Amino acid sequence: MKIVWPIAQKELRDALHNRWFLLYTIAFIGLSLALSYMSLAGAGIAGFAGFGRTAASLINLVLLIIPLMALTVGAQSLAQEQEQGTLAYLLAQPVTRIEVFAGKYLGLALSLLASLGLGFGIAGVVLALASGAGSPLAYVSLVWQTFLLSLTMLSVGFLVSALTKRSGVAIGIGLFLWLTFVFLGDLGLMGTAITMRLPVEQLLWLSLLNPLQVFKMASILDINATLDLLGPAGIYAMQEYGEQLRGVFLALTAFWIVVPALAAYVRFHLRGDL
Amino acid sequence: MQTKAFNRARTATILLLVSLFLSLGQTLPLQAQADATSTALPETTQCGHVSLQAMIDAAAPGDTLVIPAGTYHAPLLIDKPLTLEGQAWPVIQGDGSGDVILIEAPDVTVRGFVVRGTGISLDREDAGIRSTGANTVLENNRVEDALFGIYLQQAADSVVRGNTIRGMDLPISRRGDGLKVFYSPRTLIEANVMRDTRDAILWYSSYSIVRDNDFANGRYGLHMMQSDHHLIEHNIFRDNSVGIYVMYGNVFEMRQNLLDSNRGPSGYGIGLKEASDVLLEGNRIVNNRAGVYSDASPLQPETTVTYRNNLFAYNEIGLELLANTQRNRFQDNIMLDNGEQVNVAGGGDLMRNEWAVDGRGNYWSDYAGFDANGDAIGDLPYTSKSLFDSLLGARPELRLFQLSPASDALDLAAKAFPLFAPQARMSDPAPLTQPPALPPAPGMEAPPVAANLGVALAMILLACGVLAAGLRLDRRLPRILPRNSAAATATLSD
Repeated sequence: MKIVWPIAQKELRDALHNRWFLLYTIAFIGLSLALSYMSLAGAGIAGFAGFGRTAASLINLVLLIIPLMALTVGAQSLAQEQEQGTLAYLLAQPVTRIEVFAGKYLGLALSLLASLGLGFGIAGVVLALASGAGSPLAYVSLVWQTFLLSLTMLSVGFLVSALTKRSGVAIGIGLFLWLTFVFLGDLGLMGTAITMRLPVEQLLWLSLLNPLQVFKMASILDINATLDLLGPAGIYAMQEYGEQLRGVFLALTAFWIVVPALAAYVRFHLRGDL
Repeated sequence: MQTKAFNRARTATILLLVSLFLSLGQTLPLQAQADATSTALPETTQCGHVSLQAMIDAAAPGDTLVIPAGTYHAPLLIDKPLTLEGQAWPVIQGDGSGDVILIEAPDVTVRGFVVRGTGISLDREDAGIRSTGANTVLENNRVEDALFGIYLQQAADSVVRGNTIRGMDLPISRRGDGLKVFYSPRTLIEANVMRDTRDAILWYSSYSIVRDNDFANGRYGLHMMQSDHHLIEHNIFRDNSVGIYVMYGNVFEMRQNLLDSNRGPSGYGIGLKEASDVLLEGNRIVNNRAGVYSDASPLQPETTVTYRNNLFAYNEIGLELLANTQRNRFQDNIMLDNGEQVNVAGGGDLMRNEWAVDGRGNYWSDYAGFDANGDAIGDLPYTSKSLFDSLLGARPELRLFQLSPASDALDLAAKAFPLFAPQARMSDPAPLTQPPALPPAPGMEAPPVAANLGVALAMILLACGVLAAGLRLDRRLPRILPRNSAAATATLSD
């Protein structure tokens, strides 16, 4: 297991050379800065900024960019190195596949964490200096939920990567999954809810199949201490489950982190054709 | 205004037992004595051998009784015009049943007491201080552990000023009203603080004024029913289910109040139900579930509801109006970053209202027009026709998808393909491009700058630390691992 950390370090180093990763990080930093700056314009008018709305914009931004970032780097992780032949080279060394897999996962998770830390940190400095932030705890919990979300998408990306042989195909599938998680799933569910007149509890649970919705609700719960922002379904969730909701959200997130990663590892382990 | 003028010349002041006062520890600091009231003091001061009730019974109408610190038995019945002045917070301790102080005569003043320990019967409406006499003045009292705090029951022309009212630690359904004003017209309610009760309610109590109060953590911050001609100004209503709710009444002026974080399934900053002739001016309505909810207001023909120079910011819904809303006039308001600026509850439109008055509309933070002639008024009208918002009016459960990129995508699609664009639900013909200045309002606090800055810097440091760890590749294993993919590929192709 000693070898996991050097592999993770190498992965981190590779991430810094990965143009996709750098592009997303810069975009994330830039957009979160722009969003906090815009919310400060409101602070000038109102005399103070409601962190609720800033956080809402940040949640919206995270939902758009973080899955894209994590899915792409995850999808590239195994497929690209296999395509380049470096994976075979690496596996020819005295390392086991679990070490390679864990090292890669750890390295990419850390690089996502670094990217989030920079984005939220720089935006947070701007917000704090202009008295636009809310409680520091709310901000930290938003970053933590975002990190968990990035891990779920990283796991899904790893699964895609383990199932494909070519990096281009893996990225294509990753982008399609991104589209599904971010847009198609919700739009389809909205349409279903309208045409089939779904009761709120079914709507709630169906939407919770999507890890992005889990992230959104968990963040809103952390920041607002209630889900009434989300209308009847949110109020139903609060009254029916109350404080248990945090546990439910955490369990669902853990499921989305562990299961795809495990499946990806099993596939990677069984695969001989490197 | 309704303040009772007291004829001090006729007032005989009785100082109660100076020696007793000394024995109680006159030298104790005030705060210590105030704290001591919360511990169970034995029945100390019965004025020597006379109870406080006996003192009241013995006093002549119009007397002023100065009561030293100590704990006195309840219930206390005041059935003649008297002034009771507490010195260093004497405690009137109820035994947990019925009312604590009952006033049954006009012209009674109670000032400077701690009143605690009512019963818990919602049927009897057990109250800390109940008055049925006109011209009651209740000033600077602390009513604690009370089901109903102060209850004016047919006590016209009364003054409730500077009191602190704390409710019981009960679920909201079993709490009583911190302040209930019933058939008591021309009451002045000023500078009171109320926490953890149910409602402050004014029923059939026209011409009452509510000013400079701070009501929080209740159900209705202020509820007015069947009551006309009210001035409500400079109050703070925070963390209630509803800030101000008006049901069935005429002529209300609400000025420069702060309505903050009033939430819950039907949480509103201000709710208007069949209220006519209403003016809202200079209020800050922030962070509520819905800023203003309005149903059939104004009800009377020829009357209006006027919104002028208010701030609606960071509410989930800025204005939640039913489609029956008409003759509402909006001018110089700031609609800032509300999750949904205007919602038509149940669907429909709001075109029978004036969204600009005298050529001046409102400031909308999501206005996307332009101002070519530089007169600070946008050249295109502001219209509210978000497809997602329209869907929400008809199918509120879809609010679950609020903040999802999918809901933004719907609006984008509606813009790109006007076929899907919904009918405009309201239109401000003269939107302001600069936010108008707001009058001051009470109760605004700044967030903790240093802590937030620290957190943000810690995040950046963490990120830099992680990146540094990546760059400092372990030198013990250079041969196993390629430095980077490109180098390894080169190695392989050799």
